[in-house]
Order: sequence, then C-alpha cells, then structure tokens
Amino acid sequence: MSGNYYSIDIWGLLVALAMVAVAAGISSLMRMGIGRTLLWSACRALLQLCAMGFIMAFVIRSGNPWFVLLLIAFMLIAAVQITLSRAKGVPKGLAGPVLLSLVLTMLIMMSLVTELVIRPHPWYAPQLVVPLTGMLLGNTVSALAVGLSRFFESMRERRDEVDTLLALGATAWEAARPSVVSSIRLGLMPTTASLASAGIVTVPGMMAGQIIAGGDPINAAKYQFMMLAAIAALTLLADSVIMVLAYRKCFTVLDQYQPVPA
Amino acid sequence: MQYVFAASGMTCEVPGTDSSRTIFKGLCFAIERGEIVDLVGPSGSGKSSLLTAFAQLNPHAHGSMELEGRPASEFTPQQWRSQVAYLPQKALLTGSTVDEAIRLPWTLRIRNTTGTSRPSRLSRLFSRQSPAAQAKALLPSERIRATLDSIGCEDIDLDRAPHDLSGGQAARVSLARTLLTEPKVLLADEVDAGLDDENAEKVAAIMAQYADRGMSIVRIRHRPPDGRASRIVALDGGALTETYTNSQKISQSNNREDGQEARA
Repeated sequence: MSGNYYSIDIWGLLVALAMVAVAAGISSLMRMGIGRTLLWSACRALLQLCAMGFIMAFVIRSGNPWFVLLLIAFMLIAAVQITLSRAKGVPKGLAGPVLLSLVLTMLIMMSLVTELVIRPHPWYAPQLVVPLTGMLLGNTVSALAVGLSRFFESMRERRDEVDTLLALGATAWEAARPSVVSSIRLGLMPTTASLASAGIVTVPGMMAGQIIAGGDPINAAKYQFMMLAAIAALTLLADSVIMVLAYRKCFTVLDQYQPVPA
Repeated sequence: MQYVFAASGMTCEVPGTDSSRTIFKGLCFAIERGEIVDLVGPSGSGKSSLLTAFAQLNPHAHGSMELEGRPASEFTPQQWRSQVAYLPQKALLTGSTVDEAIRLPWTLRIRNTTGTSRPSRLSRLFSRQSPAAQAKALLPSERIRATLDSIGCEDIDLDRAPHDLSGGQAARVSLARTLLTEPKVLLADEVDAGLDDENAEKVAAIMAQYADRGMSIVRIRHRPPDGRASRIVALDGGALTETYTNSQKISQSNNREDGQEARA
C-alpha cells in the first residue's frame, strides 16, 4: 500500500451530523416520525464506529488470538440482539436458533473464505478476520430480521390456507413451506440486488476502501467479488437454517396451527 | 354396534387474558359407517371447535378418539386427518386452475409415498419430479373430470382460475377435493353457508351420494332439516343433545340405539 489515504478532521464529522440533523428536521416538518430515530441512530453509529476503531487498534497491536475470538463472540451476541429487536411480531425463544445460524455461517466463512482462500499470516490476523466477520454478520442480521418478520407475518395472513392444508393431511413443514419460501426470498432480496448492481451502480465498501487506500483496482475487484459471492451464499444458508429451526413455533406437537401473536 | 368413529371426553378450553373459557367439556359422540349426522346449535356454541377437535386441528381441545376401533394415538396427525377430514366453511382454492386446486392434497407427502418406504424430506427435496408432476400422475385430469361429472358438476371447467368461480362452484370444488381423498369420516363445517337454495341442495346431494358408498358425514347446518340426516345433534351450553329423525317425523330420544335405520 502506498498509504495515501485521506484523513478527515472533526469538521468532517460535524458536517455529516449536520446533514443527518437537516434530514431529521425535514422529516419532523413532514411529520414522518422517523427524525428522532434517524438522529439517535446516527449518534449511536458514530459512537459504535469510534469504539470499534479503538478496540480493533488495541486487538491488532496486542496480536493475541484470544482477543480476536473475544471480539468476534461479542459481535455475534450483539448481532443476535439486533436481529431479535429488529424482527417484528416474532415469538420468544428464538435467540438460540438465531445464534446457531449465525455461528454456523460464520464458522463456514472463517474456515472456507479466510483460512482456505486468503490464508492470512498469522491465521487470526485481526485486520482481516474482524472486518470480514463484520461484513457477513451485517448482511445476515438484516436478512434474518426481514426473513423472520416476514415468515410470521405470512403465517398469520395464510391462517386459513394453513388450516386447509393441515386438514388435507399436510405436515407442518408442508403447510409452512410457502411462507418459508416467500420470507427467504424477501430476506435475500437486498443481497441479490447488491450482487447484480455491484460495479455498475455501487462500488462496494471493501473495494472502495482498497482503492482509496491506493490498492490495485483489479485486486480490489477480485477481493470484493469473493466477499459478495460468499456473503450471498452464506446469507441464504443462514436464512434457511433459521427457517428450519423457527417454523415449528407456529405449530403444536400434534401439528396444529398455533397463532403467534403479532 | 360398531362405530366408525367414536369420541369421548371431548373438552375445549380457550385461554383468555386472565382465565380460560370452557367451550364444552366431556362430550361424547359416535357415528356409524355411511351415516349422516347434522350438528346444530346457536352460533358461538362451539360447533366448529368440536369438528376441528375431531380432526385434531384444534390446539385448545383434547379428548380420546377412535377410528375403526383404533385409538387416535396410533395414527400420525397426517394419517388421522386424511381419514377424518375437516372441510372448512371457507372454500380455499390454491393454484392457477381448478385442476391444480383439486390436486393439492396429492402434492402432500401423506399421499405421495411410493410403496412402504417413506421418502425422507431430503430425498424429496432433491427428487427430479416436482410435487405437482407427482400429483398429476396420481390423479389425472380425466379422473377429476369424471368425478366432477358424476356428482353433477359438469358446469365447472378444470382450466378455469379458482377465483373466477361462483361461490357455489367454489364450494363444490372444495367439497370434491376433500371427497376425492376418500376419508372415512367427513366433517363438513357449514359448507352450504352463503349458498342459495339450489346450490345448497347440490352440495347436500353430492355428500349423500358419498354417504351411500359408506362415508360417514357430520354436517354443521343452519338450514332447516333436509331429511338426509339420520340424527340431529344439538350443541348448546356445552352439552350435546341428540334428536333422531324418522323420515319426516322427528322424535326426541336419549337412547342411541333406536334410530339407527332411520336414514331418510
């Protein structure tokens, strides 16, 4: 790397915050009611990003694999919490399944993409492992939140259809399947859209970062493609796993439809 | 006397915000082969709850049930429901054609097992044949057509879209779909509601035709008795009272044995 990245000072942050504040002001004028959330989320994001910067600097300097694992474990737990708080109308007791599907996809990501394809030295290289995990989790969290919300909403809407199917001898899985399919499709839509638009409409974050930092654009593109492909595949996997683990919440042990309150 | 279907101790409690509400408790019911029984009672008395309980579809109900002398616990829920079939009031037809809607039950695993080996979910997932194609092989259009014609549904085209059907046609398609699965017991939940007299009569005639071939049928009805039922059972205040119909003359009785041959 030639190291010619562009630093921004405190005024840059203030400009960004001012932009959010103006947007929030417009939304409150139009009574859209999202101004507060927008402002609050922006402040939260600033704090979280700064904190992550400090923590990563510390972890990279320490060179201790346990710190890397601890950081990833913390990210996982936060991801579960964010998934469940963002999913609407979802029954209790899904923390375990969500954690399981996140851990599973993350382990595949770590072993396949990081250790088999990139092979960093040392193997736990925090400057690589942590951002990759973050990208994967960020994507799966939104896919899972959308997928779960849509699944339980769809099961409520399809109540009569589910009952008809069960009455005709369908298993719980067969009765739930249309909802599973539609929710996975919806949860994966941003991911497939980002694959399709990559390079035309968007220059994804990782590639942009490497190019801004003076890296070779071709190399950056290769990296970015691998990440997008891996994330798309693993997001589908995470969504499928959570559906298989969660659909039973709508049924009793006797395969009777049990409405989940909204 | 051998009943096809017998239930006892049927209880339904719907959980409320602070206390649960008992819809009915300890009900007994039995039906013979080929018998038609009407279930009547004021709305909200729990008639639908009782029928869904019979089909093991009601999560708030429990009780002990037998089909041809075998307890319900010997069946999987799917096996039970394919024999004790609940027909909902709302005719819900899926797919883009009547053909497809009628074939829905054959896309399900319960009717798709080839031989004795139960295909696992995984092997089904990767089987080359789609469930729709399998269903088509199991139930060809010609057979659907012939069945519909035989029960007086010549007016229903198989390639029409289900949502283009009239209410009466949809009700008959929904009925035919369940009848074609040949359950031993049919639990018909007010399928003639919202139909005019002519269509209601058609639906009743189709069911009577299947009862003659040995299907036992419980009908929830709000219309005046049509003389097809051998017994009328009233559910009110959580209790069942039976009325035997003897041709046109209706006689009240608490004894189950003496109205057996009274089918009109």
